[in-house]
Amino acid sequence: MPLRRILIANRGEIALRIVRAARALGIESVLAASAADRDSVAAREADRTLVIGPSPARASYLDARLVVHAAKSAGCDGLHPGYGFLSERHSLAALCEEEGIAFVGPSAESIQAVGDKLAARRLAKAAGVAMVPGSAKLESARAAVAFADDIGYPVVTKASAGGGGRGMVVARDAKSLREGFERASVEAKEAFGDGTLYVERYVEHARHVEVQVMGGGDGRVVHFGERDCSLQRRYQKMVEEAPAVALSDATRARLHKAAVDLLAPINYRNAGTVEFLYDVDRDAFYFMEVNARIQVEHPVSEMIAGVDLIQLQLRVAGGEPLPLQQSDVAAKGHAIEVRVIAEDPDRGFAPSPGQITTWRPPHGPGVRLDSAMEEGTLVPPYYDSMIAKLIVHAVDRPAAVALLGDALAQFEIKGIATNIPLLRAIASHPDFVAGRFDTRWLETILLPSYGQRKDS
Amino acid sequence: MTDINAQDIEAIVTRFDESTWDELHVVIDGFEIYLSKNPSDRLQASSAVSRATEAATLQALPTAVSANAGGAGSSSAASQPVATDFPEQFVVVRAPNLGTFYRSPKPGAPPYVSVGQPVDPDTEICLIEVMKLFTSVSAGVRGTVRRILAEDSQLVEFDQPLFLVEPRA
Repeated sequence: MPLRRILIANRGEIALRIVRAARALGIESVLAASAADRDSVAAREADRTLVIGPSPARASYLDARLVVHAAKSAGCDGLHPGYGFLSERHSLAALCEEEGIAFVGPSAESIQAVGDKLAARRLAKAAGVAMVPGSAKLESARAAVAFADDIGYPVVTKASAGGGGRGMVVARDAKSLREGFERASVEAKEAFGDGTLYVERYVEHARHVEVQVMGGGDGRVVHFGERDCSLQRRYQKMVEEAPAVALSDATRARLHKAAVDLLAPINYRNAGTVEFLYDVDRDAFYFMEVNARIQVEHPVSEMIAGVDLIQLQLRVAGGEPLPLQQSDVAAKGHAIEVRVIAEDPDRGFAPSPGQITTWRPPHGPGVRLDSAMEEGTLVPPYYDSMIAKLIVHAVDRPAAVALLGDALAQFEIKGIATNIPLLRAIASHPDFVAGRFDTRWLETILLPSYGQRKDS
Repeated sequence: MTDINAQDIEAIVTRFDESTWDELHVVIDGFEIYLSKNPSDRLQASSAVSRATEAATLQALPTAVSANAGGAGSSSAASQPVATDFPEQFVVVRAPNLGTFYRSPKPGAPPYVSVGQPVDPDTEICLIEVMKLFTSVSAGVRGTVRRILAEDSQLVEFDQPLFLVEPRA
């Protein structure tokens, strides 16, 4: 049965995006907002707003019982979790299932199956999807060298008891692995109380590529192409584009198939993204994880595929069979998204909440802005710092890059510090223009040179 | 002591509130209640009267206050300011989060508190239910309940006014 009224358990641009997608389908929206967001644009446009709790997210947006109680009390038959917050809590999906509310996302069972790292790896293995080649726990440096000789160098040691860079040593040959192994083991022992190591292939030049899918819940899974999200700082994506120009058509086709093969066997329902690490030198990709929700960067896929993924989510959640087949999806042109954040790159990305006094976003053909900001909006200090997503779409990548540069030049925000000057520097950098970057480029090449530009 | 309970007091207050009387002074055994619609008209409580004696000045609050804040259908009740035409020192007890407001511990049981009833900071005055989880709300102040601003078993939002309490030292 199509949804009649949904509860939106989120805030910011995605809440507004969902309000409008619902409205376009004739679905009423009830916004569950924190006290800080009671006067937000999304609250203004929603049919009804319920203030569920105080500003801190843990007492409002992160309380599954509160949002489900609000949904029930307001007579909602669906609940859209957006991204972040509760979106990947299988307990929320389960609570909705118990209460007869359609969760706009995968089943609780699917969220659990892909959310658990080991379970997800089992799924990938069963689907024949490659993962980064790695060893089991290793007893000695000799065993490590034997394994590395087998898979080839470079390799990286990892602590089996934890992560965060401790116990990690990159080795490019047997000699450096033998030397590094002991050092890494001691480091792991000190950090985690357990010096056990394993060895993985080290990907020198990696790109983050991911495939957008939509499952019908009946075993049918359609993909909407891939995205390249290699420009990251501290694992936070800053620029995303579609398609991924680093891939050959053959590799691209294999990547899409891998994503579909991974999720079809569990009858995956609704939107999801399968993330891969692409090894540029070897032309190989490795499964990383599944994100069982709509993602921040979904607009670039919408632009090239000409679909509205949020509307599709609402229709599938309402029980409609997937309204399109793979052959209906064709990629047109190139799209790039940049995330505008209220952080100051010149002060170590210090958060910069406050009141927006000037807000002049760019306009024009091929320019899209997903944002819930306007002049006078107070950017609260409680939540994620993203204030806008600027998306451009053009016939090919060079045209899209040029359009991005123009749009960023027009974009004027005053009252708070943002990363717009940094985004302009990225958009005009020769490496970016040429599409020549990997996951370490932003942190190791661009940011140091950007900092120097400021000093000189 | 008398057998007068919270419901009796509420009945007296309600009767007075709906009347055209300017003031009402009731003395029964050790119980004494004085109601007036004139804010400046306050009975001087003497130490001689018993615990239950309240220097009760009831404001002629516009009915809009309760109608305004009590309706679950109102989409932004919590964002509407509470009527300010009650004495400044009155304390508004607000909902700690969204939930269903219950005045009684269980269906059919007498309410935790009624208008005119004295409360201590730790006196339980209502329940807020979220998905079958009931959390009690305390008055947070020593005083007398003067108004109940939300409707029983209706949805209340975070920060929505539930009670008006006149504090007392």
